Amino acid sequence: MRYPRKGKGRGLRRVWSNLARVAALSVIGLVVLARSAAAQGDATKGEYLFRAAGCYACHTRPVSGARPLAGGRALETPFGTFYSPNITPDPDHGIGRWGLADFARALRLGEAPDGSHYFPAFPFPSYSGMRDRDLADLWAYLKGVDPFPEPNREHELNFPFGFRFLAGLWKWLFFQPGSFEPDPARDALWNRGAYLARHLSHCGECHTPRNLLGAPQGDRHLAGTLKGPDGKKVPNITPHSGDGIGDWSESDITFFLQLGVLPNGDVAGGAMEDVIREGTGHLTEQDRKAIAVYLKSLRQHPGP
Amino acid sequence: MKQLSAVLAIVGALVGALGLSTQALAVDEPENVIKYRQAVMKAIGGHMASIAGVVKGEVSYTDHVAIHANGINALSKAVTAVFPEGTDNGSHKTAALPKIWEDWAGFEKAAQALDTASANLASVAASGDKQKVAAAFGDLGKACGGCHKPYRAKN
Repeated sequence: MRYPRKGKGRGLRRVWSNLARVAALSVIGLVVLARSAAAQGDATKGEYLFRAAGCYACHTRPVSGARPLAGGRALETPFGTFYSPNITPDPDHGIGRWGLADFARALRLGEAPDGSHYFPAFPFPSYSGMRDRDLADLWAYLKGVDPFPEPNREHELNFPFGFRFLAGLWKWLFFQPGSFEPDPARDALWNRGAYLARHLSHCGECHTPRNLLGAPQGDRHLAGTLKGPDGKKVPNITPHSGDGIGDWSESDITFFLQLGVLPNGDVAGGAMEDVIREGTGHLTEQDRKAIAVYLKSLRQHPGP
Repeated sequence: MKQLSAVLAIVGALVGALGLSTQALAVDEPENVIKYRQAVMKAIGGHMASIAGVVKGEVSYTDHVAIHANGINALSKAVTAVFPEGTDNGSHKTAALPKIWEDWAGFEKAAQALDTASANLASVAASGDKQKVAAAFGDLGKACGGCHKPYRAKN
């Protein structure tokens, strides 16, 4: 979890130390990763991770006949409309010229191969915690999907958010790369759930409210928001009884992530339907249970 | 006496005709139609939640899956009728989007999908194959979503 870093004695020193960490990670981490796992990614495991990471739903237009992973899906935000890019291995329009190091740099640091910054509409702050092995497996899968030459569509952002350097400023203020640290006080199932929910499946990107600058409010982890992606309400999924999912049993959550049916018999709507159909519905029962165990353990928040 | 029965017959015929035309023109208050419609949707949801309990393995009423699936199937045939024009969220407290009436053919098709998916679950339930039942139930959930997603306002 990342907290907005403002005030209270955390000054420049903290910023510099973070910058140093970013630099160290980018150099050492990427070199080590590229050397250790480059040729050994397992595409079959990667396909599973691809489901868990929910790549499909954002990188594919939500219309029948849309080319998988060729991008172009609109994501409306208070800052303007983002269009997801083509992540098929097409050499000109997709990521066909990338290597594992480029992929790792994108997911870990939110940087394009040319060094420019990605906007945090791409959930790199969550993916940043992905394990080396998972990153390599995911890459092995992605580079094997069918290429498609769909040109990328420019984001349509409101002034002044279109300036890429602002994404760099945003990262400087709010982004801290790092890997997932298991909590030794918790069991393996909880830790697996925490890894999935916080990083791979990036639940917080939609379910955690954001501040005015679009940074997740760490002290409201998964507490829901009235103004989520596409201006829609995103529910509170902390165990708050009434506002959250405190009345859901662990099996209610597991079942919901499998088939999208709520305890009251209604079905998931909006983006969650896609998340389940293309993502969590394909996970193992054990992984869905892990997410449920993690969610049930969270601090309760009222609202939104 | 004869005159009186003739008068009664005429009055009766008039009342009957009025009753018929009332039904045909659907002059029920929109608020009441919406209330009724929401009760119908809750009934479907009640069947869905009941099946979920069985599919999850929380209860062992496996032979009830078909009963609930048939219940949903019966109600699926009432879906389009409970959406008369003038009961959208423009002027009423409901989640029903005007798109329902702008795209009536699409709406009917989506309602038809509920009919098909519930009938399928009812027949699969007879097989007793847990995996198939879960898959058919998932498809039924998608049929619900197939209507809710395009035609229901989100909060």
